[in-house]
Parts: sequence; structure tokens; C-alpha cells
Amino acid sequence: MSDPGHTIVLEARGLAKSFQLGEASVEVLSCVDISLEESSSLSIQGESGCGKTTLLNLLARLEIGDAGEISWGGRKMMATDSFSSTESILRTRFLGVVYQAYYLIPELNVLENVLMAARLAGGPDQDSTDRARSLLSKMGVGQKEKQVPSKLSGGERQRVAIARALINTPKVLLADEPTGNLDERTGGQVMDLLLNACEEENTGLVLVTHNESFARSADSRVILSEGKTHPG
Amino acid sequence: MKVPWPLYLAWKQLFPSQRKMSFFSLLAIVGVALGVNVMIVVIAFMQGFQNKFRNDIINNQGHARAVPLARYAGWKEIPKLMLDTEGVKAVTPYLHAQLLLQSGNYHSIPFVIGLRPEDGDEVLPIGAFLERGMTRLRADDGEDVTPLPTIDALEDEVVFVSTQAANRLRVRPASVVQVFEGNSSQRNPASSGRVRVARLDPYVETAEWEIQFDGQGSCVARENISGDEFAWEYDKGSLDLGFGYPVFEISKGATPFAAGDRFLFQVFKANKIEIYSPRMIEQAKADEMVPPKEVRIGGIFEMPSQGFQMEALIGTMRFVEDMRGEEGACDGFYLKFSDSVARNEGSLRAKCRELELLLDEDWAIVPWSVENAWFFELLQFEETLMIVIMVPIGLVAAFAIAIALMTTVLRKIREIGLLVAMGGRRVSVGMVFCLQGFVIGTIGALVGCGLAILFIHYRDALMTFIVDLIVGQEGQVGVTQFYDFQSLSIAYPWESPESMSTFLVFALFAIGVSTIAGLLPAWRAARLNPADALRNE
Repeated sequence: MSDPGHTIVLEARGLAKSFQLGEASVEVLSCVDISLEESSSLSIQGESGCGKTTLLNLLARLEIGDAGEISWGGRKMMATDSFSSTESILRTRFLGVVYQAYYLIPELNVLENVLMAARLAGGPDQDSTDRARSLLSKMGVGQKEKQVPSKLSGGERQRVAIARALINTPKVLLADEPTGNLDERTGGQVMDLLLNACEEENTGLVLVTHNESFARSADSRVILSEGKTHPG
Repeated sequence: MKVPWPLYLAWKQLFPSQRKMSFFSLLAIVGVALGVNVMIVVIAFMQGFQNKFRNDIINNQGHARAVPLARYAGWKEIPKLMLDTEGVKAVTPYLHAQLLLQSGNYHSIPFVIGLRPEDGDEVLPIGAFLERGMTRLRADDGEDVTPLPTIDALEDEVVFVSTQAANRLRVRPASVVQVFEGNSSQRNPASSGRVRVARLDPYVETAEWEIQFDGQGSCVARENISGDEFAWEYDKGSLDLGFGYPVFEISKGATPFAAGDRFLFQVFKANKIEIYSPRMIEQAKADEMVPPKEVRIGGIFEMPSQGFQMEALIGTMRFVEDMRGEEGACDGFYLKFSDSVARNEGSLRAKCRELELLLDEDWAIVPWSVENAWFFELLQFEETLMIVIMVPIGLVAAFAIAIALMTTVLRKIREIGLLVAMGGRRVSVGMVFCLQGFVIGTIGALVGCGLAILFIHYRDALMTFIVDLIVGQEGQVGVTQFYDFQSLSIAYPWESPESMSTFLVFALFAIGVSTIAGLLPAWRAARLNPADALRNE
């Protein structure tokens, strides 16, 4: 999955996670291995409910696993450990997240939404404000920086969410079906923007998608099935 | 300075971009502001009542009373002895008595205070009492121009009675009405100058005075009932014919008096009342012929807190001695201290104790606060009771805020998950909701304090409106007289530390309660598992 000589920025080994449904325990992931090289992209495909989002949450340390180890830029963490505040600080600089439902904060305008991520990382300053404007322009929504999310279309909202995810120049961007709420044409445009931006920013991308062509556009592919990853 | 992101987000959730204020913020702030306003205003008014009663009591009896512990013959040296003590400003001896007054078929048994005319107003503001009690006669064709009586009018045969006693006995002091009729029907005749009544003693008889100018610097004053005429060269001074006559003086206008300018005055003599003392009644029981003492009404007064002493009479000490049949008696002294002593209750008590030691402990010096302690304890109890009743108002506002913020947490579950996913600490995410409570409390408290200052500023208009609403125009006079709303003195926070502490206590209470109201939603938000939050539908 990775070429020798390239730095691994995100790696997971032996990840396992099961959920309790009543008295029964449902194993969603069992012994999943994943690694992502710097500035490369990886797509994850799989049927609905196969555990793609759970895998992303485990990689982002938003969920505690049953077993396994995760490494963020060489910093190793046990998937079974509780969350720590040091991870939160690291997460602001290391990870960017994009979700299917955008999750823009409705009380903030477009620019404020993007800068919110910079605030969480201790900003914003003039540099981050300039960067936010530049990212918004790159995403084609530079003219709408004063608009509130409710006035934007779905495609525009997702572009703002991508700009927000990239504002802190993260090493890795985790995208959970970013085009799932968009029509095919808009989804294609957004995906192009996402891939181009990651390439320009030297940001690694983990893309969860159902779309075959989007999955193929990534540098590498894995398919998640029966709790394990298989080469795509 | 960078604003911490939880405070920034809390502020933005209350006051979103492109909208001035969310509906929830508006309601919550109005709720807190009204609660703070009501609590401050009620307590400020209670303090206003306390201040008013305090001032009324001090006006009625001075800062302290000196009372002899045994009959004390040599009291006349004591005022000087006390006045030589630092901090003592005035000492006025007094006698108290209970007498029966009669005027025709009307009777009154007032509380009687005997004072010396020469120093009787040094502690008690008798002039102000007389001004309060002054009621003018009303006439379509004239104007009551009776000069305000002073304590100098007080003699052994002249007394002042309270409004209530005067009304019961149907009596009035001497009064004079300027009549507008014939060629003097203009209030300001050709000259625009006026003839004024400078003094009207209690011994004047009913009369009709006509003052006619000759246009050459003099005039004739004619009394129409007796036909007496007096030439008056008014440039040389007032017309003072002695006791029993009004004293007239000229108030010149822009143009001189013209020939034919005429001023008419109708003088009404003072009523007399008959007075019986308990001693006289005892004598009458023993079949002794005891004629009542006859005195004239020199003025009508009104003391503050009329509710306590409805019917009262002020006479000279000699008059009261005479009625009691005692010579050289003194029931005590009213004392007035300098502001530095009177301002502080501790220093007032210390000064009273110092005077007791000076007088070899033959006299008890009782400060106003001790003599009326029961009354102020009652007011304090009422104030505390009001606070106990009002605190739930603040708590209700807090519950409303807590419920609203809790709803917001439920509505924003996925945003909470996102904030954690973007690197926000869970404690900081919780703080967003706690700070919303704090911001609402702070703004609400500031608005509430502002409203309270407005209420205090417009208290008279407000009280008139409320009293009018509750008892109507007719009842307003009685309520106003009893409670004295018009003169209720309420301090602004910058004027008194007591008022400032009231404002601060209730503002901090509102901020504290609102912040605490945000704690539960904050705790709930901080406890959310971010992955579960993001999955939430």
C-alpha cells in the first residue's frame, strides 16, 4: 500500500471495534490495518453499515476502540485509551474533517465558520484570515464570505466545509462521504476541488465514498468488508 | 486581545451574524432584566421608606432625647453644659401634656408639646411644619395672601395646632384675602406694583382694608368697618399700626402707582379655643369654678408621620406649665448633633453615653434609633421578607434559562461533535453553554440596573400612576399624605453605599444564578461522546 522511502503520516494496526446491541455484541471492525503516506490519498469503499464511518472515527480518535494502535505522524496511541486533552490540541493541527452533512455553524457567516477551526487552534490572526479568504476563493465561494450557511446551496456549503478543514494546514484530511448529499455534477466538482486542494496543500486524504469513480481517483483504494480491509 | 473561542461562540450563538439577537436571547435577557429590576426597585423603595421614616423621626424629636431619671429642678444650666460638648449643635427643652380642647361643640384631645419660642425651632423645624400645614382660602374674586406664621407668633395665649386638630375643631388662624373688585379688579393695577401684607399677628380683628393711592407718593389706608383712616407715605417704609393690625408694605413695580390705584384686603380674625387640663377637671369635680384657658390659633402645622400623632398642639413651655400647674418643670431635651456624630449610629450612641456621664447619669440620653428600634426592626423584617419572596423570581428566570440552554444543547448535538472533531476540548465545548448563561445574566443585570435607575428617577410619576390606578384620584390625597410618596428619597447607586450594595448584590445574584443555570447544559454537552454526537439524527 505504500512505497518504500515515503513517510507514513497516518497508520492503524489491528483496529477492532464492536457495538453492543441489546445482549448481542456486533463486531464491526476486526483487525483493520491502514496506512497513509504523506500527501497521498486513500479511498475506503464498502457497503452501508460495514463500519467505514466507525473506522474514520477511530482514526480521528473520536471513538475508543476495542483493540489496536494508531499513529498520527509517528505519535503512537492505543485505540483503547481514553481521550486526552493533548490529543485535542494535536488534532487541531494534524487532522481536518469533512462530513456528508457539512456541519457548518448556522450562527456564523462563511468566513467565521472557516476561522472557527483556526480559533480552536489558538487563532485567528491576520495570516489565518488571509488564508481563509484565499481558500474560500480557491473553493469558488470567495464572494460569499459574509453569507450565513442557510443562504448557501449544498455544494457551496461543502466547499466552505473543505476550506474549514484545510485552514490549519492539517497533515491528513478525513472525508466521510463528502459528496453524499450532492448531485452527481456538483459532487464531481466538489471532489475535484477536494483532491486538487489536498494536492496543493500537501495534505493526505482518507476518503470514504460509495462512488466508484471518486474512489478510483485516489492514489490507493481499500474495500472494507466483514470487518476487514481488502485491497481495492 | 484574542477572545477565547468558547466565549466567542457563546456570544455568536446569542447574537448571530446577520441577526441582531436571537429570540431566545431576547426573552432570556428581558426575563433576567425584569427580575433584577423588580428586586432592586422593591428594596430601593423599602430603603426609601426607611430613610423617610428616619428623617421624619429626627425632624419630630431630634437626633436624641434627654430624659431625667428623677425629677430634676436645676435643668436650666444643662443646655449650656451640653452645648459646650463637641458635636452638640442644639438643645431644646420641652414639656409634654395631654389637654382637652373645645371650640363650640367640637372637641379634641391632642398630644401637647411645650417649647420656648426663643429656641424651640433649633431642633424641630417648626417653620417647615407650619409651611406644610398652611392651607390657603379659596375665593373666585380674591387671593389668600396670609403671610406664613413663624415660631415668633407663639405666646402664652397663642398656640399652633396640627391640621387634624384644626379640622376636628373647625378652627383657622388669622388670614387675609386680597379682593379683586371694581377698579381694583386687576391683579396688577396700572402701576404693576403691589401692596403686600408683611405681618398678620394672631390678635387682628375682622376688618376690610382699602388702600388708595393719590399718584403723588402717598396713599390712604382706610378700615371700612370702623371708618378709621391712616395716611401712609409709603416711600418712608411699611405701614405698621402696632399689635392687632396687619402690617402693609409696598412692592414697587416698573411704573409708579397712579392716582386711583386701589387695593382691598379682607382680614379674618383667628379663632379661639378653650382648653381644659386634667387638673382643671379634677377641680371642677370638687365643685370649684375653673374657667377654661382661652387661646388663639397662631398657625396650623403638619408634622411628618402624621399617622403616629394625628392631633397635636404646640404651645409655649410656660403655657404647658400653667396648664399642668407646675413651675420650672422640664420633661426633657430634644438634641441635635453635628453631621459627623449623627451620620454614624455608633458615634451617635457614644456621644449620648458621653453626655450621660457628663450629667452624672441623672439623665438618660436616648438616640432616635434606640427609641424607635422596634419600628426599624419591623421595617428590616419587611425588607428581609420581601427578599425571601423575590428570590424565587430570580430562580424562575434561571430555570427558564436552563431549560432553553438544555434545548439548545439537544438541537446542537452534531455541532458539539464537530467542535470536538475539529480539536475542541470537551470542557471548552461545555463552557460555550455555561458562558451563554453568564452573558445573558450579565447583560440582563446591566439592563435591569438601568431600568431600576429609570424607575427611581421617575418614581413620583410612577407612584402617582400606581396610586391612581389602585385608589383613584379621590384616594390619592389620603395615600400621599400618609405615605408621603412625593418626598420619598431614594438614593441612586452613585449617591449612597447602601444603594450601591443593593444594585451590586442583585446584579451579582442574577449573573451567578444565570451562570449556574448554564452549568447543567454545559455538563451535558461536555459528556457527549463526539462520535455518538456526529451520528445523531
